[in-house]
Amino acid sequence: MTLLPATIAGTAWKLGDHVNTDILHPSSYFSLDEGRVKEGLREGMQRLGKNLSNNLSGNGLVIVAGENFGCGSSRETSVRSLRLCGVRAIVAQSFARIFYRSLANLGIPPLECTGIQDWVKNGDPVLISLADGFIELGDKRRCAFSPLDPHIERILECGGLIPYLRREQDGV
Amino acid sequence: MGKGLSGEIIERHADGKQEGGFLRVTVDFVLLHDPTCALLLGDLKELEATVWDRDKVLVTVDHFAPPSTVERANIVKDVLSFVEREEIANCKTYEGICHQLLVEGPWVGPGMVVLGADSHTTTAGALGCLATGMGSTDILYTLVTGRTWLRPSEAIRVDLTGDLPPYVTGKDIALELLGGAGEGGFLYKALEFYDRHETIIMDDRFTICNMVVEGGAKNGLFHPDAITWSYLKERDGNGRQFPWSFHGEARYGEAIEIDLSYLRPKLALPHSPARVVDVKEQRGIKIHQVFIGSCTGGRLRDLEATAHILRGEKVAPGVRLLVAPASQRIYQEAIERGYIQTILKAGGVVLNSSCGPCGGIDKGILGAGEQCLSTSNRNFQGRMGDPSSLVYLASPLTAAATAVRGEIIDPREVL
Repeated sequence: MTLLPATIAGTAWKLGDHVNTDILHPSSYFSLDEGRVKEGLREGMQRLGKNLSNNLSGNGLVIVAGENFGCGSSRETSVRSLRLCGVRAIVAQSFARIFYRSLANLGIPPLECTGIQDWVKNGDPVLISLADGFIELGDKRRCAFSPLDPHIERILECGGLIPYLRREQDGV
Repeated sequence: MGKGLSGEIIERHADGKQEGGFLRVTVDFVLLHDPTCALLLGDLKELEATVWDRDKVLVTVDHFAPPSTVERANIVKDVLSFVEREEIANCKTYEGICHQLLVEGPWVGPGMVVLGADSHTTTAGALGCLATGMGSTDILYTLVTGRTWLRPSEAIRVDLTGDLPPYVTGKDIALELLGGAGEGGFLYKALEFYDRHETIIMDDRFTICNMVVEGGAKNGLFHPDAITWSYLKERDGNGRQFPWSFHGEARYGEAIEIDLSYLRPKLALPHSPARVVDVKEQRGIKIHQVFIGSCTGGRLRDLEATAHILRGEKVAPGVRLLVAPASQRIYQEAIERGYIQTILKAGGVVLNSSCGPCGGIDKGILGAGEQCLSTSNRNFQGRMGDPSSLVYLASPLTAAATAVRGEIIDPREVL
């Protein structure tokens, strides 16, 4: 059984290059309280010049970013805030290493797609086909993303690293 | 592909299981600190799991140290209860910053695989181990299983040649490297350093390995040499065995040489550790606060440099100088050597050994529009306080000279 959907439909939320976790989710919002963690992303978005607080209530958000997305601190609250706010996938030119792992570990597909930030505008509808490896934009243009490593895919199929660990312990 | 010594360390720790490009490897040691440890406790409880090896874990309380809010006090309480419940053998509360404590204790050395729930875990690579940071969920997996999944990286060989000129330090080497590569210039790479003349002291090596992550590197590693073995002998005594047994040349995909004799004091401009220029190009920028501390800039050699500049001087009017020794052990040594007295006499404020201002946690948060020069590792927007504040990164020599002048200045001009 896989928890990875064949397709993800959402609205693009566009960010730039080298977005670090300190700005995405300021450290003063580090908390074990989910409400506070969500607020942190809202504050981060404001600092990044995006006032997308209305979008935060809905589901089906897809972040589109440039190079080295999620660099800096390993504080997983940044990735948790994305999950809590309904981010379904992130498509970027490249990801910072720890952030990439943490996304997969929390069940959010990190997809690497060259030049994607030149193709997508903020608020565009996007359709991601995980099964066929492409992102379809509002005007039906398609961009292929790099195939996920089988290990990362397996973690995502389980719904994250903790369910992966449970299956590993059960010998599945 | 040249996987370097780092790749070889990963392969030697592989347990035979492979998925895609990832190998399942056994882990030798794990580092956790209060906030990132707190994040995994709920899941650990839900898994009804216990820690695989209580002796191979170090938990520190260094971020909320001591806590400044009720929520943080409860986080520290939860972490300490976990330590007690699991009988974790190594726990350090308020004794210093995790990355310094990890290398002070008798735990890690050449050839080991070391993970930490903090990006600056790369620091320990100065001892010749593969040390890298991960998020809390990854670390939870390791705490339960004693394993992790790693993909051997492309390795870059960095040869450090020539003699370091006076008033140029490890921090300047780190900034030079980052300036050349750019933010993300070392993404996923292993950086392996060869100190060709064996002149770079261990404290500077920690600083360099600490900051490789600002270029996106997975890890930094100093090839073990006489300086490494002498540090380990002093720390652990004679006869300590490490898994290091490399012979012959490691293979590399790329090589960089830095001739240290041409290096000048460096400065990273807001808001990126990779926006690097020579300090003298930015001479005269007014500074409100100078911070000397953190896991990259609060070691004994940093305090020594600070005291060297401050001796007989006064911090300029209108400047706040904050100094935080990276550990209690360093703090004590700095007292014995007179550095702390010199800093106090000059008008500096000495904070307890903790992360404090570096991550905008407590003690020394910046107000709107304030400008700070810091020896820490990150100057991202808003990291040290108000989003409109500006942070410059430089060596402790540059920082202390700037505190005396009240504006950014090349330390060679003050001496």
